[in-house]
Amino acid sequence: MAWKAIDRVNAPTEESPSLSEPLKEKIRGFFDRYPTKRAVLIPALHMIQDDHGYVGWKAMEEVAELLEITPSDVFDTVSFYSHFWTHPKGEKVVMACRSISCDLLGADRVLDECKKVLGIGDHETTPDGKYSLMTEECLAACDHGPCLMINEKMHKCVDPANVRKILEDDANDKLDIPRSNLYDGANRTSA
Amino acid sequence: MAKIILNNQEVETREGIPVLQAALEAGLNVPHYCYHPGLSVVASCRLCLMEMKMPHPKTGELGWAPKLMPSCQTPVRDGMEVRFDSDKVHENQERCMEFFLLNHPLDCPVCDQAGECHLQDYSYHFGKSESRMVDQKHVTPKKDVGPRTLLYSDRCVMCSRCVRFCDEVAGTGELCITNRGSKAEIDAFPGKPLDNPMQGNVVDICPVGCLLDKDFLFQQRVWFLKSADSICTGCSTGCSIRIDQNEDHVHRLKPRFNPRVNQWWMCDEGRFGFKYIHDKNRLTRLRLRRGESFESFRWESLAETVRYRFENIAKKQSDKKIAVVLSPFLACEEAWLLVKTIREIAPNATLILGPVPTVEQDERFPVGATNGDTKFIIRKEKCPNRNGIELIIKHFGGNTETFDAFVEQASAGEYAAAWISGGYPTEWVSKDFAKAAGKIPFKVVHDLFGSALTDEATLVVPACSFAERDGTFVNATGVVQPFARAIKPPQGCKRDGQFFYELAELEGLYQSPTVLGMMAAEIDEFKEVYVPPQLPEHQH
Amino acid sequence: MSEYEKVLLKNVGKPNSRQLATYVEGGGYSGAKRALEQTPDDVIDVVKRANLRGRGGAGFPAGVKWSFLPKDREVTYLCVNADESEPPTFSNRVLMEEDPHQLLEGILIAGYATQATVAYLYMRAEFTEQYHIMQVALDEAYNAGYFGKNIQGSGYNLECYIHRGAGAYVCGEETGLIESLEGKRGWPRIKPPFPAIQGAFGKPTVVNNVETLANLPHIINRGADWFLGIGPEGSSGPKLFCISGAVKKPGCYEGAMDFSVRELIESDRFGGGMRNGLKVKAVMPGGISMGILTADELDMKMDFSDPAKYGLLGLGTASAIVIDDRTDIRKVLRNVARFFAHESCGQCTQCREGTSWMYKMTNRVERGLGRLQDIELLGEIPAKMGMMPGLSICGLSDGAAFAIRTIVEKFRSELEDYVRSENDDAVRIALEIAN
Repeated sequence: MAWKAIDRVNAPTEESPSLSEPLKEKIRGFFDRYPTKRAVLIPALHMIQDDHGYVGWKAMEEVAELLEITPSDVFDTVSFYSHFWTHPKGEKVVMACRSISCDLLGADRVLDECKKVLGIGDHETTPDGKYSLMTEECLAACDHGPCLMINEKMHKCVDPANVRKILEDDANDKLDIPRSNLYDGANRTSA
Repeated sequence: MAKIILNNQEVETREGIPVLQAALEAGLNVPHYCYHPGLSVVASCRLCLMEMKMPHPKTGELGWAPKLMPSCQTPVRDGMEVRFDSDKVHENQERCMEFFLLNHPLDCPVCDQAGECHLQDYSYHFGKSESRMVDQKHVTPKKDVGPRTLLYSDRCVMCSRCVRFCDEVAGTGELCITNRGSKAEIDAFPGKPLDNPMQGNVVDICPVGCLLDKDFLFQQRVWFLKSADSICTGCSTGCSIRIDQNEDHVHRLKPRFNPRVNQWWMCDEGRFGFKYIHDKNRLTRLRLRRGESFESFRWESLAETVRYRFENIAKKQSDKKIAVVLSPFLACEEAWLLVKTIREIAPNATLILGPVPTVEQDERFPVGATNGDTKFIIRKEKCPNRNGIELIIKHFGGNTETFDAFVEQASAGEYAAAWISGGYPTEWVSKDFAKAAGKIPFKVVHDLFGSALTDEATLVVPACSFAERDGTFVNATGVVQPFARAIKPPQGCKRDGQFFYELAELEGLYQSPTVLGMMAAEIDEFKEVYVPPQLPEHQH
Repeated sequence: MSEYEKVLLKNVGKPNSRQLATYVEGGGYSGAKRALEQTPDDVIDVVKRANLRGRGGAGFPAGVKWSFLPKDREVTYLCVNADESEPPTFSNRVLMEEDPHQLLEGILIAGYATQATVAYLYMRAEFTEQYHIMQVALDEAYNAGYFGKNIQGSGYNLECYIHRGAGAYVCGEETGLIESLEGKRGWPRIKPPFPAIQGAFGKPTVVNNVETLANLPHIINRGADWFLGIGPEGSSGPKLFCISGAVKKPGCYEGAMDFSVRELIESDRFGGGMRNGLKVKAVMPGGISMGILTADELDMKMDFSDPAKYGLLGLGTASAIVIDDRTDIRKVLRNVARFFAHESCGQCTQCREGTSWMYKMTNRVERGLGRLQDIELLGEIPAKMGMMPGLSICGLSDGAAFAIRTIVEKFRSELEDYVRSENDDAVRIALEIAN
């Protein structure tokens, strides 16, 4: 063709990870929670992203097969939600809130500082694969703006001057609370 | 039946159908993109909003509700009052049109849809002449979504008709919506392109120039095209189609609405299966055998020669049989005229239905559908008129044979003469048949393409394609449907109906309705011919 | 500003408030036990009499919502809306973080009242810590027999699962939530059919907000009259209020709906006054979608009926952002426009195109490249987008319209002054470069 068009006729050439058998089993473990298999899609995508770091083409195709839907159904859902990455992301994702309360309390300076310290822009990843950066709509911690979330951990009332210190702390994404491991199923003794 | 008040006028319509459908049927030009009667209602384009009278929540008094209602989503209820002609409704339409055009490129001069584009039409009728947005437009990419189809994302109005078609009618679900908000796009999963047997319909139902047919791309400006209403000959479903041509060249086939047969759809096999019409190898000369070779022959002498030779053989070789092989590609009128003529000359002539090209099984849509939920069938019989030809053979009765028996008997030298009509778009002459035909001393072969059969023929009569002919087909479910001619036959050919008419020694020009009338006087099945209703002018 | 014994936040700050033992010690799950001894209709009846209006934003009475369920249903789903995404709202977060069992008890009561078979707690993806807290609490509650089969010997069965979203504001709309639960993009559905008739997985479904459900144990325990005795008629019962921005004590507070925005800011019970001697310039008192108030409109009562008198869409989530007098209104305008452009789901034309167009303009206006026509359009587009109800499938566009329209209308002269002071050539050149 004489002009540029995105190719959907041929399968993508870039490599992307497959679902491992344990991961598939984990996904299947959610089947009895919902009356349809499709409803397991969003939990499954979370599990895939936890495992692979993102949701690649191959994973989309394989989860479609597992849930008996079309790959395009998966593509559709994945692309709708801002938390799913379709390209590899870093070990830790820094989510900078930019909604009104944080914004008025200086969120843009916090974000700029993150960009400066990490040397990356929105939806980019540091060369060492450690950090990715994204902006967030309201993190629901407006009483403590501006906020940053690093993976699961919320950092409240962030002063731009402290951003470097936060990012240099290895434990900046660690939650110190009892946890029910996400999607490992309920840790119940009875059902 | 239900009576509603539409723009202050009482209109009779059907209870429960969408008000939008009722309004379109009443002749109103109500703009709409996402609504399509063959698809589920999503009410997302918000163009067809109307005002409706509702009881006041407190006083119970009937009055215009402050809320505009989507007319596609509101079912007709007897006695309801709605209007599309108020300022409020017009304002919404104008607003929507401005929104639709915000990010739409102004590339009509290079857009295939120009001239049949509902964005153009609606902008003209309901929109404004200029955009008030001065900021940069979103630019979204072109996508090669399938082997036959291109998607220009930037022209999309997000009506989602194509996505719903793939989900609900084809049942293959290749298309999806990606992203959200103003960044939403139609897309396909890479490596799982739009490639189902009905995919061409997405181009038809796309109201704008977003989904385009690669086959038709940049071929013609649509305003140069002239159309004729025809019937697809690809299988025995008999879809109503429109042949779009310019200067006797067919550029595309489009489905026509037919509630009894194909609804709004047609399959790709039919849609793109017309290319043989313009094949350079088509037979275009009437030829008569002289010894080992052929010489040209004049159409004026054809009727007389054929009649004379068949008459002679019938008289002189009464121990041998005369065959008439009727192709399931012949129109009923053509077959009727041919049989009538030969039976007049040779009353014992054997009538044979030609081979019926058949694949293993019907294809039902949506994929996996069973009887109840089937929306479309591509039938296993790859010809349009087996039912019609069988009706005619049954009507004339007398000597009839199956094609296989005929081949066997011909090999045994039982036939002295044969009229063999072909007209198949692909090769149809088996080795056995060609060999058997070799044992028939006098044979007229009426066909589209040369073959072992025409090589052996006494007289070769070039046939015309469906686009060059008119007449009637009887489809798989027994629906008798007329089809019109779209283009002139190639130089050297004569319209089949015309020379059968002359062969029957009827005077003047062949008019299929006249012959149909003659047939109907004899055969009850032809008394009722089905012509599908026209879609309302503003429905699309 | 009346006082009453706090219920919703009473466990906040208690040691181990997240643990079942602490909750039960404070009388927890007694409401659920009491409910299980009554018929489901009795429970619905109490909630109806209490006139518990939905706390998620729309204020629809929960008991009435439940009574729309068809009588002959076999399966009922309860969806708990914890997709709290409306800036600047965080009351659900506080409820889940500090007192997860209160919500779980509410889920059990609502589940029993509606005879739900499964409850799905739809939590937004950003609730990570809260997810773990809820899941641990849920596991505890299961083990204590508050969920699962034959709950507390009543014969009633209810499964409860946490379903995590993935970052989409529109999934807080109840049918968007249902679509998302089903594994699809969160495009709100057209109504009818309403979820009560045909909701999740095509079955009768009730969607209730976290705070709404948190009220249930107290209504069952203390009765409808107690609930009606708090706050003014039509806006009764305890309510959570969030306040953030330029106040001394941003936070989530409980109170009756009988005080003004001014009191919310100034009272020591709530915001504690403005920080650093700043003055109020504007307040968005119900979440950004409800619209804005000027400093002259602070007498608005934080109840269900008063906001409309000030041109707002409603009480919303009763979460106020206080904007001080040093803030450039263009920044507020652009932030709000960006939010809606980013979160519009893309289904309806007006919202999809209107929000993105408005964002483009506000972005330019903030950068000092605005034109008077832009201000004109920023007043006109939302007025036509949301003022005329019914233009879109869900309420997101109404929210976007109210937010932007009220800012433009109420701060028009300030916006126009900015635009007038700009260099026309710079604007013209910027536009030319853009195209």
